[in-house]
Amino acid sequence: MSEAYFPVGPGLGLEENFLSLDDILMSQEKLPGRAESSLPRLAFVLGQGAGTGDSIPEGTKLEIPLWLAKGLHDSKRRIISVELPKIYKEAWRTVFSADATVVDLHKLGPYYYGFGSQLLNFDNPENPEIAQTLLQTFISRFRRIMDSSQNAYNEDTSVLVARLDELERALFQAGQKGLNDFQCWEKGQASQITASSLVQNYGKRKFTEVDG
Amino acid sequence: MEPAEAEFLAEKELVTIVPNFSLDRIHLIGGDLGPFNPGLPVEVPVWLAINLKQRQKCRLIPPEWMDVAKLEEIREQERKEDTFTPMPSPYYMELTKLLLNYASDNIPKADEIRTLVKDTWDTRVAKLRLSADSFVRQQEAHAKLDNLTLMEINTTGTFLTQALDHMYKLRTNLQPGESSHSQDF
Amino acid sequence: MAGERAAGLVRELHRAAGGHLPPFRVEELRQALEEMRALYEQNQADVSEAKAGRTDLIFLIRFRHCCLLRNQRCILAYLYDRLLRIRALRWEYGSVLPNTIQFHMSAEEVEWFSRYKKSLATYMRSVGGEEGLDLTQDIKPPKSLYIEVRCLKDYGEFEIDDGTTVLLKKNSQHFLPRWKCEQLIRQGVLEHILS
Repeated sequence: MSEAYFPVGPGLGLEENFLSLDDILMSQEKLPGRAESSLPRLAFVLGQGAGTGDSIPEGTKLEIPLWLAKGLHDSKRRIISVELPKIYKEAWRTVFSADATVVDLHKLGPYYYGFGSQLLNFDNPENPEIAQTLLQTFISRFRRIMDSSQNAYNEDTSVLVARLDELERALFQAGQKGLNDFQCWEKGQASQITASSLVQNYGKRKFTEVDG
Repeated sequence: MEPAEAEFLAEKELVTIVPNFSLDRIHLIGGDLGPFNPGLPVEVPVWLAINLKQRQKCRLIPPEWMDVAKLEEIREQERKEDTFTPMPSPYYMELTKLLLNYASDNIPKADEIRTLVKDTWDTRVAKLRLSADSFVRQQEAHAKLDNLTLMEINTTGTFLTQALDHMYKLRTNLQPGESSHSQDF
Repeated sequence: MAGERAAGLVRELHRAAGGHLPPFRVEELRQALEEMRALYEQNQADVSEAKAGRTDLIFLIRFRHCCLLRNQRCILAYLYDRLLRIRALRWEYGSVLPNTIQFHMSAEEVEWFSRYKKSLATYMRSVGGEEGLDLTQDIKPPKSLYIEVRCLKDYGEFEIDDGTTVLLKKNSQHFLPRWKCEQLIRQGVLEHILS
């Protein structure tokens, strides 16, 4: 990781961070919805029909990205209704409360917490339960993330990391960095000036043409 | 903060050396140093002690706590207590590393000291992890972490603050009333 | 689906981890802006129809407006994140970027870099007394004034403090003033050897 590049972090919660690349990709994820009335000329843009003039009939099932669902959401005139993706529904919430540590959040997510928090924007009656599950899941998975990121210098953590959602991965990396920096220091390497990772990233390409 | 920066701060701590040369008092922006007289113990910052030691201009007198019996007692105390016990120096890790690296010939039982300090560190870090976990599990709002040193905070600090920040936001989700205000302005 | 092109830009940039700067996508950006223009024009037309009574079009207008805002957000985030990466290069690489990196930048980004560089230089001249202070030096606390370095590539003649020059030849080793070689180490020309 470069030391001078600090990307805009995700918002996490009801508000997104406008300039965060993570949040943009998170809100690109789709959720199931339904047309509550006939939608003229929308078939083409939503990828449902061929002609630009086609309408979407009432009751059609749709898959729409979160950003669009949020933009079209209107609590007074429900034109498109959104449903909960299955991992936020009751059946899965029961799984999470039984043992959240065994769940592969990356496969199900990969923005489990971020996306889940965003769903709370849609006045769903199950909101309190969803919010509770998100928090409890984080809490019960915390110990394992901390232990493996702070302990496993020589252990293979790839299996564990593969099952973490994006938020947890960033957290894991922060933990590993703290440990690695400390171990570098213990070995006496902390005072060594090293090549910038921004430069190393360019790999084998020629770096001889420094002009000026 | 990086460990190298914590070490830099530790280098301002004072240690006693016995110089083998004479030099009048010197005035620096960080304070006066010396005078230096052969055979007369004098207190200097660690950075200077190391520099002089490397050039064989002095003998180092280890800090009082850098002693096997004392460190054994500290280690036992740390293992016995649930909370963090006070360390003999806020830079005990950094000083142990620096002084043992550059002046081990002036420190009796250097290897044993290294092990004892490392054991104490490991105990403390394990304790820190344990308390972080119970802090998160019980959803506490604040915690008192007395007697932690800079290097210890530094090693887990980013991880912990990031985790607590996430937890705070996920907890805020539980109170829809408050947050919906910020939505419709 | 509208907004895909702009999201593609974000996706590519996000994949380039660790602050790496991928090539500037002129064509994709142009297409995304073109899409925005089209959405705007269609909306203009439909707004007139809606005013004339076709209220069932209001939802469609709103939909297009969402897409417009989404495109705008993706493009702004793309450009902004690139600037963060370019700014990092000034701190990690130095004030003169190699062609390989410049090829990845748009003309506006090159211009931005040069202005950033100037304003940083002006600031650094204004602090630390007469001489100014190079804030990009000594990113880590220095341990000594001189350090041992090994050349990783043929670099050529290099002038040091006292006016003498040394020849930096691949695999040669030198004992040089730290402040003179820190940047070359960060650029991967020299390697810092710890004693």
